[in-house]
Amino acid sequence: MNTTASQNVVSAAALALALGTALALSSVPVTAQAADSEKCFGVAMQGKNDCAAGPGTTCAGTSKIDYQGNSWKFVPKGTCEQTASPTSPTGFGQLEAFKEVKQS
Amino acid sequence: MNSQREFVAALLDPERDCPAQLTTWNGSDPAVRFAVYRNNVLSSLVDALAASFPVVQQLLGEAFFRAMAALYVRQSPPRTRILAEYGADFADFIEAFAPASSLPYLADVARLERLRVRAYHAADVAPLASETLTAALAAPDRLRDLLLQLQPALGLLDSSFAVVSLWAAHQGSLQIADVDPHQAQSALVLRNGLQVEVIGIHQSDSLFIQALQAGLTLGHAAEQAHALNDAFDLGTCLAHLLRAGAITHSAYNHQRQLP
Repeated sequence: MNTTASQNVVSAAALALALGTALALSSVPVTAQAADSEKCFGVAMQGKNDCAAGPGTTCAGTSKIDYQGNSWKFVPKGTCEQTASPTSPTGFGQLEAFKEVKQS
Repeated sequence: MNSQREFVAALLDPERDCPAQLTTWNGSDPAVRFAVYRNNVLSSLVDALAASFPVVQQLLGEAFFRAMAALYVRQSPPRTRILAEYGADFADFIEAFAPASSLPYLADVARLERLRVRAYHAADVAPLASETLTAALAAPDRLRDLLLQLQPALGLLDSSFAVVSLWAAHQGSLQIADVDPHQAQSALVLRNGLQVEVIGIHQSDSLFIQALQAGLTLGHAAEQAHALNDAFDLGTCLAHLLRAGAITHSAYNHQRQLP
């Protein structure tokens, strides 16, 4: 609506209508909420502070020296079992490696 | 090689020997102590990535994620002291990472999570007073020439995959089994106060917002979005921006006078 097919020009009336709608949809509470909040330091997201371990606290589990980066036997897991996978025989991701189903 | 460079290289490469010049205060084996330090460096950076990319970790499982992240850490150690910026190119790494290729949407999920972290730390800019736009509404003939500036926290992602739904399913707001990952979606990331929001938008909305960011007028940006999709809904799109206080400044473009 309000656009001419050939030039695709948006009319002033259409812009005014859209902006009016937007103002009505978004009215009031947001700015009030933003003004009431304040920035709080010292509550950075986990792992975002300068030292994840913290001074003097040697991390638990540090005795395992390394991750084995060269063995790739892991299979993606987690929510993967519920995530649709077109190549999987079950139609979803699996915790064990599977033979891919050929897609026709 | 200077000893500091050797130390750093050995820190990131487990195949390298402990730097030769290292000594310990109590005569214990420097190699064992160095290995502990090496592991702490690695695991704290992997932890930082896990905190920034929680949904990527859930999609892969912790063991897979940590092994993949460790390879990334060794290949791309931090360039600045600001850990929040670490992982800016993690998504690109994931995209090229063959063992994760069975989840082709993973890189875009990482891009979305990266936009969220970026939004969280972006500079504060006060939203435009709504009276300014109400005043603009009183002069409809000039609306075409309105320029809108958007908050620095705003991020956009156009994906060939259902990034927004995949992300939402991991926040408990959608059933993951109902998500078809192969449906293209666009994401709008905004910060409302201190709350980072992810909103699923149409590709035409995304194009409109990019046009505003590029300095196009309201009229011009709306026309581009309409050209992509006649169903483009300017009102809803602007409402998303206004609701989160994402419009920060406005001006009229005087170079483009009305005829």
